Amino acid sequence: MVLAELGGRITAALQSMTNATVIDEAVLKECLNEIASALLQADVNVKFVKEMRDNIKKVVNFDDLAAGHNKRRIIQQSVLSELVRMLDPGKPAYQLKKGKPNVVMFVGLQGSGKTTTCTKYSYYYQRKGFKPAMVCADTFRAGAFDQLKQNATKAKIPFYGSYTETDPVKIAQEGVERFKAEGCDLIIVDTSGRHKQEAALFEEMKAVEDVVNPDLVIFVMDSSIGQAAFAQAKAFKDTSNVGAVVVTKMDGHAKGGGALSAVAATKSPVIFMGTGEHMDELEVFEAKSFVSRLLGMGDMSSFVNK
Amino acid sequence: VFQSVAGKAALEKEDLEPALKALKERLMTKNVAEEIAEKLCESVATSIVGRKQASFSLVSSTVKAAMEEALLRILTPKRSIDILRDVHAAKEAGRPYTVVFVGVNGVGKSTNLSKVAYWLLQHDINVMIAACDTFRSGAVEQLKTHCRRLNIPLFERGYEKDPAAVAADAIRAAAREKRDVVLVDTAGRMQDNEPLMRSLSKLINQNQPDLVLFVGEALVGNDGVDQLMKFNQRLADLSVGSAPRLIDGILLTKFDTIDDKVGAALSMVYVSSAPIMFVGCGQTYTDLTKLNVKQIVRTLLK
Ligand SMILES: Nc1nc2c(ncn2[C@@H]2O[C@H](COP(=O)(O)OP(=O)(O)OP(=O)(O)O)[C@@H](O)[C@H]2O)c(=O)[nH]1
Ligand SMILES: Nc1nc2c(ncn2[C@@H]2O[C@H](COP(=O)(O)OP(=O)(O)OP(=O)(O)O)[C@@H](O)[C@H]2O)c(=O)[nH]1
Ligand SMILES: [Mg+2]
Ligand SMILES: [Mg+2]
Repeated sequence: MVLAELGGRITAALQSMTNATVIDEAVLKECLNEIASALLQADVNVKFVKEMRDNIKKVVNFDDLAAGHNKRRIIQQSVLSELVRMLDPGKPAYQLKKGKPNVVMFVGLQGSGKTTTCTKYSYYYQRKGFKPAMVCADTFRAGAFDQLKQNATKAKIPFYGSYTETDPVKIAQEGVERFKAEGCDLIIVDTSGRHKQEAALFEEMKAVEDVVNPDLVIFVMDSSIGQAAFAQAKAFKDTSNVGAVVVTKMDGHAKGGGALSAVAATKSPVIFMGTGEHMDELEVFEAKSFVSRLLGMGDMSSFVNK
Repeated sequence: VFQSVAGKAALEKEDLEPALKALKERLMTKNVAEEIAEKLCESVATSIVGRKQASFSLVSSTVKAAMEEALLRILTPKRSIDILRDVHAAKEAGRPYTVVFVGVNGVGKSTNLSKVAYWLLQHDINVMIAACDTFRSGAVEQLKTHCRRLNIPLFERGYEKDPAAVAADAIRAAAREKRDVVLVDTAGRMQDNEPLMRSLSKLINQNQPDLVLFVGEALVGNDGVDQLMKFNQRLADLSVGSAPRLIDGILLTKFDTIDDKVGAALSMVYVSSAPIMFVGCGQTYTDLTKLNVKQIVRTLLK
């Protein structure tokens, strides 16, 4: 519903070009202004919006365009492909393999939704026939182990953690080893929230990663995040081997543009969207259909590639 | 941006446009919500148009000075709340002073509630915490841990209880035990979630706290505006008393994670006119400060 609101503004801006009898630079400028303001209200990175405008202006060269050319269509295509480019790293995420222990580690800023998403992710793959288990390598946050334990119990997923051990590296190692020995084929490692400004926290993340040697590191981002998203996402990517992104709290009012434009910094695809606090509120994310939904259009994957 | 219009009779809107556009973009880069940046630029324009430009001064400097003035005015609290004074007044009246912490999911309500508890302890105030997030896994144990560390009592009734009733019981217990302050933790909720907003309003209506603190994170983008507007709107709509119940103050968290992107502070104050009473700047008990208005304005304009 919120997505439709943003899509509606962009579609209306494009429509205004159709209605204009002559499409000149002034009309294009007006249209791009409107689109830019819609994207900025959705928290899309300011620099990115600027680049996108410049790119589109380059594509739409009025002198080169022969009369009768469909300028509106060219602009529409540019907007769409710019948005898809923002979201599509061009390579798929690591696919879980049955019959071997897949280790997946969750990282992200404080309160972004890691612990909740760990359970949702485990639950999702449990229903697909995997045998998941969760390890609580967050020894910092008060009540972190209880949170994971209560979630895991509800979902009937085995868990590992400690009330007394303070070293997350040790717990991570022990937990992963234990569940490998028990034949679990999906071992989830939950970690503490952290931010780039505190180097010690990033070192800790690296240390946990080194010892569990994950097949996939998932970066969890809150959809309401604003302009600070890009720098944080980039710092996580630079320290840790982030391979996929989950954007959470999409059931709120936020349009998610801050998170989605930070996806580019991780060079990784968004694989899931969190849409509520309950364990089944997780949706598979597909960039192209997301953008087409955003713009209130049908499937446009073929459209963009044209 | 550096064009000078010295000698012109009076500034016109067109003269200001390039400088305003650059300023708006700067504010948005600093994470001020688009709508707020736009409104601010408009009001700055209105305040300057028609003004005589001193010779040899740059339009951009005139615009920047006017913006600085506007920002200072907005961020400087219009009503000041002195919690310590009010706590003592409640004590004189023989009742506990109650604060309810509200906000969307994961912004830092429980952690910063514990920091406020620590701050009150430093002022020799006798605190009790009420665990009224009866929904999220681990919420009660999270507060239990903080209470154990701070050596203060926790009032809890476990999970899946009516949070409004838990709060009422907690306040009654605090009055009986002669506690000075009750800090009420609530579950995070999305501002559009109607049942959960109703439940929050019920808690506030039934317990009439002295202070409703909205907890918002400095990381938030344009949604911060919507969060405050809707929390205020729903609380007002659902108020039972004669005067609508609104957010009294803001606690801005995660200020240590945003570098110079301090714009959420401005967006939140602009839409709610509520003062930022505390700023959370880390994950330990001492990481709670007051807002430095001058520094925010300087950062926004840099
Ligand atoms: N509405 C909604 N709430 C969510 C979603 N995902 C997580 N949450 C809530 O967000 C809050 C924070 O989630 P957590 O899973 O504790 O976040 P975290 O990243 O593990 O937090 P730290 O470990 O403290 O860094 C909780 O209240 C969750 O219920 C979502 O998709 N929608
Ligand atoms: N860096 C930083 N982290 C903070 C700050 N305040 C809170 N946090 C962290 O943010 C995460 C979420 O904090 P909580 O207090 O659990 O948030 P909440 O709003 O109570 O979450 P829910 O009850 O699930 O809605 C925790 O990891 C906290 O340590 C802050 O000022 N700076
Ligand atoms: Mg967690
Ligand atoms: Mg909480």
